[in-house]
Amino acid sequence: MRVSAALPTGVAALLFESARRRSEAEERLVARLRESGYSEAILPILDYLEPYEALLTPATRGELYRFVDRDGELLALRADFTPMLARLLAPRLESLSLPLRLFYRGDVIRYQEERAGRERELYQLGAELLGLPGEWAEKEILRLFLELATDGGEAGLQVVLGFAGALDELLLAADVDDPVSLAAAVARRERGEVRRACGTLLAVVEDGLPARPEDLGPEAAGRLKSLLALRDEMAAAFPGVLLTIDLAEFARNGLDLRLTVAEGERPYYDGLVFHAYGGPAAVPVGGGGRYDRLFRALGAEVPAVGFSLSLERLLESAP
Amino acid sequence: MIRFALPKGRNLETALAAFRAAGIPLNGFDAAGRSLRLRIPETGIEVLSLKDWDLPLYVGHGVADCGIVGSDVLEEVDGDLLVPVRFREGRSRMSLIGREAGLPAAGTQVRLATKYPNTARRVVAGRPWGAEILKLSGSLELAPVLRLAELALDIVQTGRTLAENGLVEIETVAEVTPCLVVNRASYQRHRALLNDWIGRLEAAEVVS
Repeated sequence: MRVSAALPTGVAALLFESARRRSEAEERLVARLRESGYSEAILPILDYLEPYEALLTPATRGELYRFVDRDGELLALRADFTPMLARLLAPRLESLSLPLRLFYRGDVIRYQEERAGRERELYQLGAELLGLPGEWAEKEILRLFLELATDGGEAGLQVVLGFAGALDELLLAADVDDPVSLAAAVARRERGEVRRACGTLLAVVEDGLPARPEDLGPEAAGRLKSLLALRDEMAAAFPGVLLTIDLAEFARNGLDLRLTVAEGERPYYDGLVFHAYGGPAAVPVGGGGRYDRLFRALGAEVPAVGFSLSLERLLESAP
Repeated sequence: MIRFALPKGRNLETALAAFRAAGIPLNGFDAAGRSLRLRIPETGIEVLSLKDWDLPLYVGHGVADCGIVGSDVLEEVDGDLLVPVRFREGRSRMSLIGREAGLPAAGTQVRLATKYPNTARRVVAGRPWGAEILKLSGSLELAPVLRLAELALDIVQTGRTLAENGLVEIETVAEVTPCLVVNRASYQRHRALLNDWIGRLEAAEVVS
């Protein structure tokens, strides 16, 4: 009998040279994480669904592979490391010495419609920094992310920075019935729709930034100034990386409850948010940000920042 | 160098006329020719000639930085592309068509023929009637005429083909427009040039 070597949609086997390349890249990145004081967390690929129920949006729920175990428990395959780590740490935080620096590696399994660059099994490597408040933690994590993402060289890497809730005030003040749809139009740069709803947002759609920072409201304007300083510092440290601030890119990362039902990719970010394009493809090689509200939703108060990188996408984009 | 994908189908003339009006010449690109790729050195543009249904894939992968494609195709393939502007010309509508006016009665199950199965599923979702969706690749009008399906979901421009085949447009479900689409990573890299193009297209009043 001849056995077919075909695999299900969205998964791939790495053999020989491709396996060697990924293993070597993983070893380099893991060594860098250890040197930076991060210790490994090894997490299961299978978990109960119940702890995540309150954290899911329609989009992230649709990605989950869920099934009933033989004993009747509803289980899910791991689709995201960050919530899993958070839900395991949240009940133990009081007994842990902070700050905590952890990294992880392994597969995440997500149902994706069959289309370009959207794998269903993705090998990720990521890091989380817990318990260190303020901009220092964001700076440490972004710098580490850039060090790892430029493993194959800085050329061609584009990192887009923003912060959650940056456009909330403008979106909610716009002359529209549905600010969630307007946020989606901003993220897709649909100029006609945005112009009709809010002229101030048009500059954000075009240039990633408002004409004047104060157009965002006083709090967001202050955060934008800090972000500009962070961008300049990182651009000086990584001169070959194109670092831009683009608030339209993260328009769906709202903070106001009226905007958080949207289909943001990872809806838990509530501060700095960033992602990186490693080559021409429209799918980021990785990203991250601040996610204090994820822990809050799990009943714990701790500042948290982190990132993840897809090793295959990173290797594909390497020159 | 920016790679610009032009569609081979009904949206090509709209695209060429709009770019001419905006003063962005695509000199040397021969719509009727067989060339699939053309460099225009004086403008820094490389034009690719692609089929409508392939174009979002090329732009999504970043092989092309941007392109022009109908919103019917874009909604169907969902390539997570940026859609800065929609063209004023070349508009049509996506409609449910059938032999008789009126939608199916509540509780009934029909067959619906279409080139757009994903869009059709969204159109049918929440209706009081159900539909088995039949994916066809062309001549959709024949499906209701020959009773392969009770309904078809297709593009209607003038309605003449429907009338000639004894069909009626039952319900318009969406306006279909040619759109400029841009790869997310390319937008970051070519923002100044793309904003210049978009500004010129807007000034020429060929987009909305």
